[in-house]
Amino acid sequence: MTSASNNKRALAAVAGSAVFALVLAGCAAGGDSGSGSSESLIVGTTDKVTFIDPAGSYDNGSFAIMTQVYPFLLNSPQGTSDVEPDIAVSAEYTTDTEYTVVLKEGLKFANGHDLTSSDVKFSFDRQQAIADENGPSVLLGNIASIDAPDDTTVVFTLNNGNDQTFAQILSSPAAPIVDEEVFSADSVTPDADIVAGNAFAGQYVISSYDFNNLISFEANSDYQGVLGAAATTNIDLKYYTDASNLKLDVQEGNIDVAYRSLSATDVADLEGNDSVNVVVGPGGETRYIVFNFDTQPFGATTPEADAAKALAVRQAAAGLVDREELAEQVYKGTYLPLYSYVPAGLTGATEVLKDLYGKDGGPDADAAAKVLADAGVATPVALNLQYNPDHYGESSGDEYALVKSQLEATGLFAVNLQSTEWVTYSKDRTEDLYPAYQLGWFPDYSDADNYLTPFFAAENFLGNHYDNPEVDQLIKDQAVETDVASRQALIEEIQAKVAADLSTLPLLQGSQIAVTGSAVTGAVLDGSFKFRYGSLVKG
Amino acid sequence: MTTTVLAPLAPVGPPQAPRRSLGAGSPLLRFIIVRFLLIFPTIFILVTMVFLLMRTIGDPITAALGGRLNAQQLAERIDAAGYNRPLIVQYFEYIGQVATGNFGTAISDGRPVSELLLTYGGATLELAFYALLVAFIVGIPLGMVAAYLRDRWPDAVLRIVAILFYATPVFFAGLLLKLVFSVWLNVLPVAGRASTRTELQMGRLDNRTGIYLIDAIQLGSAAAVADVLQHAVLPGLALGLLTAGVFLRLVRTNVIGTLSMDYVDAARSRGVSEYRLVRRHAYKPALIPIITVIGLQIAMLLGGAVLTETTFEWKGLGFKLAEYLSARDFVAVQGIVALLAVIVALSNFIVDILAAIIDPRVRY
Amino acid sequence: MTNTDATSADPASFAARAPRWHHLPVVHQLRQSVGLQRGMLVVGLVITGIFILTAIFAPLLAPYGFAELQDENGNFGAQQPPGGAHILGTTVGGYDVLSRVIWGTQTALAVIVVAVVLSIFAGVLLGLVSGYLGGWLDRVLVVIADAVFAFPTLLLAIVAAIVISGGQSKLLGGVLAAAISITVVYIPQYFRVIRAETVRIKTEAYVESAKVIGSSTSRIMFRHVLRNATRTLPLIFTLNSSEAILTLAGLGFLGFGIEPTSAAEWGYDLNRSISDVTSGIWWTSLFPGLAIVLVVLGITLVGESLNDLADPRLRTRRKADSPTATPIAAPDMAATSATDSTGAPA
Repeated sequence: MTSASNNKRALAAVAGSAVFALVLAGCAAGGDSGSGSSESLIVGTTDKVTFIDPAGSYDNGSFAIMTQVYPFLLNSPQGTSDVEPDIAVSAEYTTDTEYTVVLKEGLKFANGHDLTSSDVKFSFDRQQAIADENGPSVLLGNIASIDAPDDTTVVFTLNNGNDQTFAQILSSPAAPIVDEEVFSADSVTPDADIVAGNAFAGQYVISSYDFNNLISFEANSDYQGVLGAAATTNIDLKYYTDASNLKLDVQEGNIDVAYRSLSATDVADLEGNDSVNVVVGPGGETRYIVFNFDTQPFGATTPEADAAKALAVRQAAAGLVDREELAEQVYKGTYLPLYSYVPAGLTGATEVLKDLYGKDGGPDADAAAKVLADAGVATPVALNLQYNPDHYGESSGDEYALVKSQLEATGLFAVNLQSTEWVTYSKDRTEDLYPAYQLGWFPDYSDADNYLTPFFAAENFLGNHYDNPEVDQLIKDQAVETDVASRQALIEEIQAKVAADLSTLPLLQGSQIAVTGSAVTGAVLDGSFKFRYGSLVKG
Repeated sequence: MTTTVLAPLAPVGPPQAPRRSLGAGSPLLRFIIVRFLLIFPTIFILVTMVFLLMRTIGDPITAALGGRLNAQQLAERIDAAGYNRPLIVQYFEYIGQVATGNFGTAISDGRPVSELLLTYGGATLELAFYALLVAFIVGIPLGMVAAYLRDRWPDAVLRIVAILFYATPVFFAGLLLKLVFSVWLNVLPVAGRASTRTELQMGRLDNRTGIYLIDAIQLGSAAAVADVLQHAVLPGLALGLLTAGVFLRLVRTNVIGTLSMDYVDAARSRGVSEYRLVRRHAYKPALIPIITVIGLQIAMLLGGAVLTETTFEWKGLGFKLAEYLSARDFVAVQGIVALLAVIVALSNFIVDILAAIIDPRVRY
Repeated sequence: MTNTDATSADPASFAARAPRWHHLPVVHQLRQSVGLQRGMLVVGLVITGIFILTAIFAPLLAPYGFAELQDENGNFGAQQPPGGAHILGTTVGGYDVLSRVIWGTQTALAVIVVAVVLSIFAGVLLGLVSGYLGGWLDRVLVVIADAVFAFPTLLLAIVAAIVISGGQSKLLGGVLAAAISITVVYIPQYFRVIRAETVRIKTEAYVESAKVIGSSTSRIMFRHVLRNATRTLPLIFTLNSSEAILTLAGLGFLGFGIEPTSAAEWGYDLNRSISDVTSGIWWTSLFPGLAIVLVVLGITLVGESLNDLADPRLRTRRKADSPTATPIAAPDMAATSATDSTGAPA
């Protein structure tokens, strides 16, 4: 905060105090000197915490806290999405179905309790025992049992051997290691108890906790993991609900870092501002249209069911959307065009849709018209398209208005666009009410598998009646393929097959964007999609 | 915000006051007792209403995880949480809890509802206080001026200003204030209740009240007090001016009303100046109905603060209500609405009793 | 003039000497008013008139459709400053601001009409029945009305919006949601006013005499009581209308409104302009906001003027009247405060 603005604020306080009939403002200019030393800095966010107990929450806001304060068996060092042992010395398959992790010696929680294999076993057992309705225990479905033969050894016995995603799962929201002497074995532990018990062993501990308003972190000198010691001793995390207020505060230097989520307009405005830096990293977030294979035009349960015509409709849509225009006009470059299912930046990403549909990544109306004509589909095709205005960001309305306009541009589609609030939307979409609809995805862990299994395996969360046994088998194969190159080939093959079927139509891939004051360095946004406060330095 | 406009529509008189003569004994006492007993059905109806309404708009599990789990997994979790048991069972379970003073624990974040009410109630109370202060300071003198200069141009201007005060949606006012004071002039904070630094300092207090002004004074730091006040200016003005518009009208009409009363006419005929008439004779009688309306305003400020608090990120009950609503957190929403119901019912009660004491005819 | 009727002027005394169309509400008051009071009423009527005309002729007035993103020259582009083809600029979604402001009048008018019609029917009927019949039904209805009145409006509106529209955002669903939620909140108000009037009127001589000559209850209620009890309605009517607009905008602002390709709605546009404001883009929020303020101002001016004219103490007297021409018989404290605080005699 500059002294000039301080003076203005003092003036304002004088004006304000007249209203409040209080004569206190004279001293306003004095106290508030600068935003502190290099010892501390303030991060702002619009994410929200639900629980800081890993068993009780499965959302970005809560996981952002866990990333700072809990250790993991495996974790990704800054700058990469590949995982390495964090508080472990080794982690590997000792047999096809046994994954053995050896912990470092002498680990301690910040409260002085020993961190042993028993805590590790406890952490995973309680996830499965509590299986909280808002928790992430679903990620641990492959664990059959856990043994702790000695203080530093943990053996995970898996249902399906050679699971190539298991290392990533050990760094996911289901896997923070917690203190068995503080946490409850069979219920979600209240935040206050965790903070009071100081049951942390990550880079930071929480020193004060004002729920969804202000959290203070203090560096944890006992942390011995892969991330190294924290560079700044004190970090305060301030919560906002309105992104525009977050933007104003970072612009004026009231806070040092703004991470998640500024609007595209705000980011574009800040990019031209010298007092802040805009840091951009690869994003794992995707936006796509889901087609319901039963109820889409010519879908399996419609009166004029015809699989070939249905495919032609999907292909025509794929040929008409202009991802560049969506990314530029609606998101001002904060989202990028997405031409396949696995987003760019992850091993196995391709651009298969670019080759199959449209022209050079852009739309191709003639080709789309030809596809429809060849299949004997009368135009315009009436398409009911649904989006949700309150879950995937406020720009969804603009995005889908533009999609509608693109599909209708040459008269091939007549789109009936509707939006529905989130809870109803979530129910309705699985009840086959929406022939085509918007969804987005934020990954649980940084592996191509997380963009394939949940979507295209037989039991997927889309529930859009897409069923391709070949794809299903390939997905099962890649999950246990130990050879890296062969696995990548399988992943690419899956994408090509799904791209031909068009179960979903990927549109955009988000970027991670952090805005920092010009004096702040060390904001790293990498493919792990975890933002660590430990590397932030000011001044 | 909408409710503050609505509020003055409520007749202050007690609609449910016993209508016939109450015979011997103390009619006032009897009236008070009957009126008091009527508080309970009011609260009961409200709680029942909010219970039923919340069940019709979806469950908290779908709200949280609808984008991650498939339909079957969701159904299993909803089943495990007991949200698909018969409504009547859930209802009696809830009423049973509330009857014993247990408002339950918020589903989405596990916080006891009674604790929520304490934590966020203070913020809402503080905002209501600032707003009422602004409303008094702006509304009452201007209302008297308008009455004094009635039917001349300053009166017309003031009345249009009053209408503008409550014709402006608080979120639009918020946007304009943000544009002018924070973007163009950069002099006032537009959001939050205090700067991070002050909040950190207050976090170290042992006996935090949650009312920032008091906490800042406890800190003994003038800078903290100034900081808290700076943050209060815009939300206080936005909500206060809205209420000031209502007060202005109220004062004007009541002063004009009393100015035409016989005793004022008598004074006028004695040659007392119009200014003196307003100051000395018409002012006090006109204030009595205003005091009763304020009772209603407090309740409405609390209930109608959703938009104001959301616009200015004033983390009070209204703000939390909006959050919990979108998380479909039945328990928390029910708890907050129940508290608001109690406050509204109590202040209506007090207002009615006051009105009855001031003017026995109200009792019929 | 009946001297028991302290709080409102008796229109009959004017109506008796005037042609039939002069009886119509508003026209009657307009003729009755003088000076500044007439000025305020006229200003209010003009603003309201412009609003209604804009709504009717929106297709002719608006340069573009409310959901139009492009013309023959391609996309309008997002957040274009005012000037050129877009006099008021374009929004973050790439719509023409002027067009959306103009089309928005249609949505607002639809909500007003539906809300007012619904609340008048339900509220008046309930108030009449409750007030006339009395007894336990009356007691129960009064308690329920009180409880509903204490319910946070916006919460009710949000829930109603989700229930009524199934969470969807079509024009009809959005309009009905705002209208019905406002109705639910306003029924108690109509109910109270009509009930109070009914309770008062039913003891009057002409009702008693109707009873004596054996008129049926429903005939008495609708012929005699209703006709006399509805005089105060235009006043609540205007408050109800402005409240309907503010609720619609509030819903839109909180994201429970109408989808932008289904209809233009000012609250939605304001919501989308939040991040524009912090980047110094003022035109996307200013104009829809001003539209809301102006329309509410116009309608409220009409309502306030009607209120003043209905109250002999507030009415500006014609020069010919002597200052003491209007006797005030037994001004009831409660009724006075209620009247004055509400803008509607209770």
